[in-house]
Amino acid sequence: MAKATERKPRGGQKVLSGGRKRVLVVLFVPSVERDGTTPIDQQRWVDASLEMFGRVFGGATAYPKAQGVWRDDERRGTLVMDEPVVVHCYTTPADIQDDGNLAALGAFCRKMGRDAKQGEIGLVVGDEYFAIREFGEE
Amino acid sequence: MKSQLDMDKIAKGLGAERRGKVTAGGGYFGAMQLLADIEARFRVPSGGGRPTDPGWTERRLLPLAPKTLKKLEEMSAKVREHGMNVEPMQLAALLIERMAEELSEEEAEDLVRPKRRASR
Repeated sequence: MAKATERKPRGGQKVLSGGRKRVLVVLFVPSVERDGTTPIDQQRWVDASLEMFGRVFGGATAYPKAQGVWRDDERRGTLVMDEPVVVHCYTTPADIQDDGNLAALGAFCRKMGRDAKQGEIGLVVGDEYFAIREFGEE
Repeated sequence: MKSQLDMDKIAKGLGAERRGKVTAGGGYFGAMQLLADIEARFRVPSGGGRPTDPGWTERRLLPLAPKTLKKLEEMSAKVREHGMNVEPMQLAALLIERMAEELSEEEAEDLVRPKRRASR
């Protein structure tokens, strides 16, 4: 299991005001391009995502490959079978809502979507699923 | 449970579309969150013994219904299948801590506010 060092929460923080790392961010790193057959350099993107999460949010954990499917509605509902790596990152409400951090996370997702020829990059933040589909040049 | 996150701001900052809620308390994400919590926090004490969160320095007796203890035992057995050693009451401590952290001040007040009973 690939793993970056998780920063431990410091003591003495207020329980009810949200200073601790209680927001889970989940990123899906795909294994194939949008065509469902061309493999991508998945390990490179897993390493890059851990580096980004470590630098921006203080840590992350990548789990072993899973089995996945994505319905490509722009290609008549073609099912893209995939073996994604799921990366988990715990962060604070303040850090996930910071403009600079959001820009860094969004830029990473767009780069991965563009370079790995994806139809969509999926991200879960807290209890909501976000889809990034526009990968325009930075 | 309120998330207290501005999801529109997050979507705008990411350049993403909001596509709907996931169930964070159960299912895949709940289980993965629990495993990640245990893996990230539990450490073997320097003096030996079973892995635990070094921040847990206080001890209290916790009254439980038998069915709750049974559920905790079943959940900790499932976690151990993933190679992480956790005892039922360690799991209880993790779950209590998470709920306490996620509870908003308003919700905490609701818990202790006297409620009017319905009368015939």
